[in-house]
Amino acid sequence: MKKVSDIIKGTKAYYCVDCGKCTSACPLSRFGDYSPDGLVERALLGLPVQPDLRIWSCLTCNRCKEVCTYGVEYPEFIRGIRSVALEEKESGVCAHGELFSLMKLFTFTHEREQKRLNWVSEDLKVSEKGDILYFTGCLPYFDLVFRDLGVNTVEIARSTVKILNKLGIAPVVMNNEVCCGHDLFWNGDIETFKKLASINIQNIKDTGAKKVIFSCPEGYRTFKLDYPDFFDFDFELVHISELLSEKIEEGKIELHQIDDKVTYHDSCRLGRHLGVYDAPRRVISEVATDFVEMESNRENSLCCGTSGWTNCDGISEEIRKERLKECTDAGAKIMVTSCPKCLIHFKCHMNNRKGEYGTEIVPFEVFVARAMGLV
Amino acid sequence: MNDKAVLVIGGGVAGMQAAFDLAEAGIKVCLVERTLSVGGRMAQLDKTFPTNDCAICILAPKMMDCYRHENIEVLTLSEVIAIEGEIGSFKVKILRKSRFIDEDKCNGCGDCARVCPMGILNKFDMDLRVRSGAYIPFMQAVPLIYALDRDKCMRCGLCEVICGKDAIRYDQKPEIVERNVSAIIVAIGFDPLDPSGLTEYGYGKYDDVITALEFERLICAAGPTGGHVIRRDGKEVKRIAWIQCVGARDTRENRPYCCSVCCMHATKEAILTKEHYPEVETFILYTDLRCFGKGFQEYVNRAEDDYGVKYIRGKPGEIREKENKDLEIFYSPSSDKVEKMAVDMVVLSTALIPSEGVEALAEILGTELDEYKFFKLKDPYNPTETTRAGIFVAGYCQAPRDIPECIAHGSAAASRAMEIVLGGSYDRRA
Repeated sequence: MKKVSDIIKGTKAYYCVDCGKCTSACPLSRFGDYSPDGLVERALLGLPVQPDLRIWSCLTCNRCKEVCTYGVEYPEFIRGIRSVALEEKESGVCAHGELFSLMKLFTFTHEREQKRLNWVSEDLKVSEKGDILYFTGCLPYFDLVFRDLGVNTVEIARSTVKILNKLGIAPVVMNNEVCCGHDLFWNGDIETFKKLASINIQNIKDTGAKKVIFSCPEGYRTFKLDYPDFFDFDFELVHISELLSEKIEEGKIELHQIDDKVTYHDSCRLGRHLGVYDAPRRVISEVATDFVEMESNRENSLCCGTSGWTNCDGISEEIRKERLKECTDAGAKIMVTSCPKCLIHFKCHMNNRKGEYGTEIVPFEVFVARAMGLV
Repeated sequence: MNDKAVLVIGGGVAGMQAAFDLAEAGIKVCLVERTLSVGGRMAQLDKTFPTNDCAICILAPKMMDCYRHENIEVLTLSEVIAIEGEIGSFKVKILRKSRFIDEDKCNGCGDCARVCPMGILNKFDMDLRVRSGAYIPFMQAVPLIYALDRDKCMRCGLCEVICGKDAIRYDQKPEIVERNVSAIIVAIGFDPLDPSGLTEYGYGKYDDVITALEFERLICAAGPTGGHVIRRDGKEVKRIAWIQCVGARDTRENRPYCCSVCCMHATKEAILTKEHYPEVETFILYTDLRCFGKGFQEYVNRAEDDYGVKYIRGKPGEIREKENKDLEIFYSPSSDKVEKMAVDMVVLSTALIPSEGVEALAEILGTELDEYKFFKLKDPYNPTETTRAGIFVAGYCQAPRDIPECIAHGSAAASRAMEIVLGGSYDRRA
């Protein structure tokens, strides 16, 4: 069993001088009673932190880590504390019922045949084996759960494949793909995460793919930063925005320009976790002649208010409201987002406040596919 | 100049002290300064802590003493480009860049500056004031010899026409001179960090987020605003907050060290503000106050008790500009909740980092730098000795220290260089 003292050591929490910089940057603290350095200080004093329900509220959005000048890895600290709490049978509240248990079911692959590829329509060119693979992630499942919000997550997958087809790529898509394990990992369930990871890596190896393309920032982060801690693999990992940005530089892509004011919402995983800020902007500003930034952007971006489906509450709603206010203040007609969860969370907030917002939220891939005349 | 001389690189307060001590002992010194004037960073300061003495009033006589000393040759606008030899007999190549004005003829009247139509931001004033294309960096500059900024010059010819001494030399070429010396002292000081990369503070994005050195120029009576602390839009300031450790004690860019002077210079700047404007509210947001020097704690106590400077423990995580241009600071003083404070000016106590070009110079000198690019000591018991015999270091470029410590360090380096020149027991120490 992992001890709190090991977590303090592993995440350099002992460097904390309680300066409060993390708390004053944290999106949760801004709207509610939450303090990263307060929790760290308690752990440093040897007081128990795992029973504190607030450990499940952390967005692990990296805002605190980004501003911390002492190198304390608070999101990883929280992840560790959650593992300890799980062992003590504590857990966060999944805002969407049984989603977590669904993810766990995937680990018993031999017993359950998925119909994951129902979204692959006739007009899409995909392969079973090949050099380039598209890791679709949870998009087909989100479509079932969140369809009533008016989000069409399979549209993201379809757009991605259409874009790739246009670039002459018929990507491999896997029916036996499983959840990347991101949410379980961040909620402390490392064992199930490892099972999922090993299934995915084996299945990808079986297709012979040399390059894996992601549309989902969470999947991309998990493969890029977390899988290598447990498993070896040598396929290359690329986010669709990075691929497109490269193609634009090479002049291999034609995009119809639009005059609408467009802004971009950095998701915490693609932005602060992976540092991919420029590629999506490079692509979007190629389409939108009037690209604007919101007040907080790039490493200082406000997030969508929930991560890992855990503890979505009033504070989450306040964060969304503030982010959408920034979007309105910037005068943007379209807000492009790279993460399906950001899309879901903002749409949910807007659905509850009909007519209050004049902004359209468009997934990055759909935005590009439109500009390429593909949808 | 013969072998019994010493080369001092850097004409700031540490280098000048070293040069002066050597010269007073009868040893010839060549003082090489990169900019137009000796004086260094101290010349940019309004006052010094913890006594609130006028910086230039203490410094200017020292600058003149150095420049006029019969044993000191001051080469400004010059850089060391190569050295040969070893301890006891170094041959040094020095690049003397062109002033485009004949140094022997110019009498410092300033007529060229008055007629020159160019307007260029003055680096000495942290780009807060426009100077002419023919200029001295500041009023007390030593030597009082003008220079032309030929990068921007249109060669309109006005200065040439007006100059009564016929000193303008548009086509002056740089020259390389050589000096033989027994020992070298490096005292190249520091640069303030440009904080625009620390985006949470909004420097470069918001007009009234400025650096401590910029504030120093604002509050200085000889500065660009004549000592008035005003916002970029010209309004008087009512509430100012200093933020400490900006880019210092920061592992993000491998700068975990404490800059050693910022707690005190923020305190000084807050006191000076209160002396200029007793009604202005001043706040210092610190990580922890490091008042380790003589008279430092008393200085902070005085700031709190006599001047009403408010010290708040907390490093802000974000600054935002409101519609009325006020700056909203988010900070967490008690570590369990966030507080907001609106001010109309934020002063960042930025990290002080090794000077630009330090790596190139270390390469030329064949000395090692530490992981933060400060000059490395051979061992801690020889606090001025670099990793190469015969080359000594003084001041901030070895490690963070304040003005009195830089002066002491300059004297210490001079005494070690003296051993070599006078044929002392240097070798036995090794």
